[in-house]
This record gives sequence, structure tokens and C-alpha cells, in this order.
Amino acid sequence: MSTVTVKVNVNGTPRTIEVESRTSLADLLRDRVRLTGTHLGCEQGVCGSCTVLMDGLPVRSCLTLAASCDGAEVVTVEGLDDADAHRLRQHFSTEGALQCGFCTSGMLVTGYELVRRRTEMDRDQVACALAGNICRCTGYNGIIRAVQKANDDGMAVDDLT
Amino acid sequence: MRQEPRLRRNGVGARRPRHEDERHLHGRGKFVADLDLPGVQEVAFLRSQVAHGRLLAVTKPEGIDESRIWTAEDLAPFALPLTATSTLPGFRAAPLPNLAEGKVRYVGEPVALAMAGSRAEAEDLAALIDVDIEALPAAVHIENLTDPDSPRVHDEWPDNIFATTQGTVGDVDVAAAEAAVSITREYKLNRQAVVPLETRAVAAHYDRNIDQLVVWSSTQTPHMLRDMLAELLNIEGRRLRVIAPDMGGGFGAKCSIYPEEVALAAIALQVTHPVRWIEDRWEAMVATTQARDHAYRITAHASADGRLLGVEADIRVNAGAYSVHPWTATMDASMSAAMIPGPYLLENYRFTTHSLASNKAPLGPYRGVARPGACFAIERTIDDLAHELGLEPWEMRVRNMVTPDLMPFTSIARKVYDSGNYPEAVRRATQLMDHDEWRRRQADRPVSGRRRLGIGYASFTEQTAHGCIEWASRGLAITIGKEGARLVLDSTGAFTLYVGIKSHGQGLETTLGQVISEVFDIDPASVTVIHGDTALTPRGDGTFASRSMVMAGGASFGAASQLAEKVLAIGADLLKVDASTLSFTDGKVVGETGGISLSQLAREFLFTPDHVPNVDGGLEATYFYQPEVQTGAFTYATHAAVVEVDLDTGEVDLLDYGVVEDCGTVVNPLIVDGQIIGGVAQGLGSALLEELVYDDDGQPKSTSFLDYLLPGPVEVPELKIEHMETPSPYTVFGMKGAGEGGAIAPPAAVANAVTDALREFGALINETPVTPERVWQALQVADRERNDA
Repeated sequence: MSTVTVKVNVNGTPRTIEVESRTSLADLLRDRVRLTGTHLGCEQGVCGSCTVLMDGLPVRSCLTLAASCDGAEVVTVEGLDDADAHRLRQHFSTEGALQCGFCTSGMLVTGYELVRRRTEMDRDQVACALAGNICRCTGYNGIIRAVQKANDDGMAVDDLT
Repeated sequence: MRQEPRLRRNGVGARRPRHEDERHLHGRGKFVADLDLPGVQEVAFLRSQVAHGRLLAVTKPEGIDESRIWTAEDLAPFALPLTATSTLPGFRAAPLPNLAEGKVRYVGEPVALAMAGSRAEAEDLAALIDVDIEALPAAVHIENLTDPDSPRVHDEWPDNIFATTQGTVGDVDVAAAEAAVSITREYKLNRQAVVPLETRAVAAHYDRNIDQLVVWSSTQTPHMLRDMLAELLNIEGRRLRVIAPDMGGGFGAKCSIYPEEVALAAIALQVTHPVRWIEDRWEAMVATTQARDHAYRITAHASADGRLLGVEADIRVNAGAYSVHPWTATMDASMSAAMIPGPYLLENYRFTTHSLASNKAPLGPYRGVARPGACFAIERTIDDLAHELGLEPWEMRVRNMVTPDLMPFTSIARKVYDSGNYPEAVRRATQLMDHDEWRRRQADRPVSGRRRLGIGYASFTEQTAHGCIEWASRGLAITIGKEGARLVLDSTGAFTLYVGIKSHGQGLETTLGQVISEVFDIDPASVTVIHGDTALTPRGDGTFASRSMVMAGGASFGAASQLAEKVLAIGADLLKVDASTLSFTDGKVVGETGGISLSQLAREFLFTPDHVPNVDGGLEATYFYQPEVQTGAFTYATHAAVVEVDLDTGEVDLLDYGVVEDCGTVVNPLIVDGQIIGGVAQGLGSALLEELVYDDDGQPKSTSFLDYLLPGPVEVPELKIEHMETPSPYTVFGMKGAGEGGAIAPPAAVANAVTDALREFGALINETPVTPERVWQALQVADRERNDA
């Protein structure tokens, strides 16, 4: 089995990791960096649980080859730690946006990127924007409210630092 | 043991964010796949790719370390197959092989397994195993399973029938003779996957140091799993510890005992390293227990003034290839028969059930179990009767429901409906939805238009938290019905609650903390709730049947009450007052003249017991709860759906959805609403989207999320929910279960709404999921029938 060496920045820490060529970004994060907050729900690129940010944009880490991340900056749920992330988490908790917690990492990462766009969004727009993430527990009502509220908060402060 | 909530501060009734959230919101949850097990070998199962066939040979590749591959022959000396038995007369058992032997009976049945340092390498290895199967014709579709020439799933059986049951109460023939209107309908609920987002997962390691086999499994029933593993591996229970860590949902898919659990546990005893299997999504779609696959023929009789006089039900369930433990293949059919009478005053009822074997994956529990089918059957029928009689369907419901003055009411199926106002839930649902306004808008639609509006209702009773006798009445060999809790107060004045129940995502760490708070008036977040570890927790059966809050909550309250009595006795000794003058306030024991904090009290008692000579040692209490009424506590609800239907495409848009429900005393509104919304979302999946399609050869055609459609954020509207809180007279705090109700009514409510939208054409929606194709077909059928007439 051939291997590749990947230089990747994960949650602010630069790393050089040798992996089998077929290794996915998800497996690199989970098995090699031991960041297990990124969950694998389908490994078919549909459920969105494994969503991480790659150079600022959400990607399915299950379908992203680790080799394609050479030179990239990757942020996982464990790496979300600014004011937007904090507000998002608060609203998730008070709005009933999580139950089992399995889809939550992907929802947070997707929601975070959305909130950081600083674009006004109504309920339908938030729902559409989250349509790539499946939750089997909550029925989405709380998730949509939480992301919408965090977005409204973000718009109000308009501070991207 | 009715106990009113006393404090209602942070305890029962408080809308509190969940204690579980913090770890999940930071990606710190620990699921089985996340466990760090040094030296672990990951397992890949090789599974049958044909639905029915003779297994002629399983050949290992040459030149490979043999211990890395296990066949049925290798495993047989270490593990017995699981045989789910039933006390129902004539029941045919079908032992569930750990790895297939002789025959394969569904696509996805495990045949062999391989292990390696990574899952990918294990799959590479499994691909080298040669499996020789002679394919046989398959028994697949529910319509054909009892045909005389149907292939037989189990060669030694004369047909494909696990069991047949029947029952008669009253006289349906007399009812038929008196009836002003009688209708017969056939309904079908197609097969579904359960789809917890975390797939099944098992790890096992034999700790030679303490002679203990530790099995981690994403299971709703850790104690039950330990008991069965001990039986099947033929080892003493003391050597077995089952741990269910964080779980990514279960919904019933994770409360049967599975071959993969047995195989990994058995192998771990034979090897020197941990083993782990994480189910992939394809496996989850073909080999995890599935649900529904019901067919009904209902004949119902009503009087001219809309009274339901009698119901005849023929119930057929395609239960798949094997019976799963402990539920058996008859679970759905027998429960459906008991639930068809629903919330109604029915005096004449006759039913027959057939639980059928096929070359599909075994059927197991899924949120609602048989109730979505039973609800669909009776509720679609009520609507069509109402239509025949010229009544509003909601009015027909109100006229026939059990009224509050009759409570507690013993139903025709001998279930005790404990409390509530069923007709009021219907009336409130019409108000919640603004029924008259929708009727007006419906009438305003131009006849020439191509989109129609419809409003539909569905009511049900939800049996929750039932006891041993109820399970025995269904023929279960294992009669579940008790739940244990142990509460410990430590020297720092903090509480740890150990419960046999398992929280699979529904927030029991929070709600059980609220129960403890109710007794001691402490912050619920200061209670650590330990669950899902058989070595730590008192016995409990697990989370299913909407039983966890009532039963584990009842057990926690029992333990807390006993411990409270002791703490007050200690307080009395220390404060030199009578215990009856003391009470709990804000984490203190308080009397008229003074008080003592729980931490001070605990230190005094535990560090210097000689200061409290009159109280026996130990600052803990254990309590086992069982229901006072064995048929459980009955939650009930009426759901309502408003739809818009496109006549040209058959597409259904869900415009609004409302729920009026009564689960008794609500412990945490945030969590209960979450259960309802989440349940409804799953029910909408059943109603509109989800279908496991099998072709005539028994090949599953919907094995990924690309072709098995789950409800997403866009498909679930913001729900309207209204609670009626009628405490059960029979449970602690008056709680009733709330876990499954949301999923029960949506198929019926949506089908009634679509049928309502299409009344002018006479198209009836009698099958789920209600896909555009089925709606369009129903319109074509109605059109043909009109032309023929």
C-alpha cells in the first residue's frame, strides 16, 4: 500500500502525517490526531456528521482524501472557540438542538460557517442551508432556531474577530 | 405509588437545558468508535449477497494468519446461536445464527468475519474469503408469503408462519347487522429502516488480570445483553461486564441481542487483543433490525349517528427471516391487534394475526413498534366511515372516544387507560390548527385548479412503561418490568445516581437529576448519573417501550426517598431535634432552630460515624420500581396535518402539523417537546419518504441515504404543540411515557389529510410512504372506478 505525507494545519496546530494513500480526512483526524468529535454517520457523503472546515469552507471529511489536504487548514468541532461558536453552542443547548449528540458536530460546523457569512437569513433559508446535514433525534426545529438566533446575534455585533 | 411533585423549582416541571449538552457541543462525547483501545483489531463481516441460498462452502484464503478469519465452524465451539422463544401456542422458533450455517436467509446475513489493524485492511482480508452459495428462489413480499408455492424460509416448517393468533370480544356479526354503514379497507405500511445516526458498534476485550470480559456496545439494553452473552458464551455473569457508552440514538434498533455482539464477545475470550466492529451504513441498512411491513384488512361498522359498532381486523406482518431476542417475530402483530381499538369505546372486535417469515432482515422494535400500523388502520377507517356518514372526521372521533368520567377505563383489549380527556385533545387539535379556516380555504380553491388542500387527524393511545404481566401476555419468555436505582451521597455532599436504564440520547442524565432535585432541593446539575455499565449499576432492563422516565424515574425517586429519610434521621441526631421537624432546602437540612449543609452532614456521618450512633451505616439507598398497573401508563394524543396536493404530480406539501398530547406530568418541557418533535419527524419519514424496497429476488434496493430518503431540515415544519397534563394516578409524580408517541400518528394523519384533499375524486391513500407516485396512482384508480361505475 502506497503512502503519502500530508502537511496539514489542524485547529491551529501544524502537523506532518504519513498516511496510506486511501486514507480519508476523517480517518486522519480521528485515528491519527485523535480528534474523535468528527463523527462518521454514513461514509457516503450524505449525512453531514463528519463536516469540518477546510480552508474556511465546510467539507465532508469522509469523502475528502487526506492526501488532498496537503497545505490546508482544517478546523473541527473541537477547534471552534470564538464568540460565534460560543453563541451557537448556547442556542443549541437552550433551543433543544441536540439529543444524542452524534450529528451535532457536523451541525455546529455547518452552522458556524453559515453564521460567519453575516447574511440575513429567514427560517427557510437556514433550513435549506442545513439541508446537507441529517439529524434523526430532534426533528430540526431546535437546530434551525438555534442557528437563526446565532446568526441574528452575529449580525447584531457584526464582529468577525 | 402516586406522589405529587413537591417543590417544582429545579426539579419536576423545570425547563432546563441538558447536562449532556456540554460534552457533545465540544465533540467530547465518547461513542464506541471513539474509544481508545490499544492493540485493537477492527472487524469486518462478510455478509450474504443473496437473499436465500444454500451455503455450500466458506473457504479461507491461503497463506493468511488463520486466527484473523473466523467462520461459523471456528466460532461454533465458543458461542451458541440465540433462540428467541415465545409462549404463544404454535409459535415456531427460528434460531438466529451468529454466522450462517447451512443456509443464508437474507441479504446481509453474516457469514464470516476478518480482523486487521484497520477496518479498511479487515475489509481487504474479508474480500479474500471464498463463499460458495447456491441461490434459491426467495420469499419476499408480504402478499405472497402464504402462497402454497412460496419458497419456504425454514425448510423444516410446513409454511412461512411464525405464529397465528386470533381473538373475539362481543359479537361483530350482530354489530354488522345493526350497522347503517359498513366499509372494508386494505392498508399497507411498507418496510422501514430505523436509522440511528450512529450505526451499531461493538468492542470487546478480555481482561486477564481480573478475569473479566468487557463488552462495549451501542445498546439500549446493557443488562439484558450481559445476561444473554453469559448464556450464549456459557460463562458466569460475574465474568462479564457490558458498557454502553455515549449512544448516537437507538430508537429500538439497538435493543435486540445481535449476532455481531455474540461473535465479538466470544472471540475476545480467545484472543489477546481487543476487537471492535463498527457497522457501516450499508450494513445498517441491510442487517440491523427493520420495521413495519404490515398489511391490514379492516372491516368496520357504524350506526347512522356515527357510533363505531364493531371492527374486524386481519393483520399480517412480514417479520423477516428470524425472531430476535427477546421480542420475537410476533411482537408487531400481537401488539397491533391490541392497539387497533385505540382511544375508542368499542364493544365488538374480532382479529386474526399472522406473523410471517421471509427472506428479509429480521423485524425488530422501532419507535412506536406496531402502533403506527394499528393507528393507521383504525384512523384511516374512522375517516372513511365519517365520510360515508357525512360527518367531520374529528366529530366522529369525539363521539366514539372514551370519556373522562369512565377513567380509569379497561379497554376491549384489557388495557387500563389510566386518565385523561381524549375527546378534548381532538377538540383542542381543531382549534390549534384553525380547522374552520382551513375548511374555508379548501372550499375557496377553484375546481379548475390543480392543487388541493386537505386536513387530516389521527388519535391514539400510547401504552408506556408496562410491567411483567403485560410482556408475559404477549408471549415473551423474558418478562421485563422492573428498574433499579442506587443513590449515593458522598462525603462532599454530592450525589451520584446509578441506574440500570440506559440513556441513548434522550437526556436522562438531566431528567433523573431533576427527580433527585425534587426530593433534596439541590441543583440537578450537581447529580452525576451513571448509566449503561452493568458493573456499576443495579439491574434494569433498558430503554424501550417509552418506559425510561416513568420506571427509572420511579426507581430514582424511590431511592431518593429512602435516602432522604436516612439523611433526615442523621440531621435529627446531629441537630438534636425530631426528624419530622426537618426538611430539605437549597442543599441543606433545615429545621426551626437551625440547619446543616448536606456536605457537613455527610462528613460528620461518614468520617465520624460515632457522632451519629443511632443511624445504621451507609449513605446510600437502592430501590427497584415496578408499575402499579401492569398494562402501563397510557399517554394519548391527537395529531393534525394540513397538506397541499398537486393533482398532476402527486406531490404532497406539508403546510402545517400540530400535536395535542397528554403524557401526564411533564418532567422537563424542553426534553418532552424534543421527544415529540423528533418522533413526529420520524413519523413524517414513515408517512412520506422512507421505504426499504426489495426486488423479487429479495435484493434490497435502498441501501444508502441516496436512495433511502430521510426527513431533512426542509421536510419538517415548525411544529405546533399543546400539552394537556393529566397526571396518571398510578405513577410517581403522575408521569407517563413520552418517547414514542410522536412517531405513531404522522402516517395516519398525513394519509387522512391527503385523502381529504382528494375526496372529490374518491382517491384513497391506503399505503405508506405516501409518495407522489402512490398519490398519482390512487387518482388513476379512482378515475377508472368512476368511469367503470
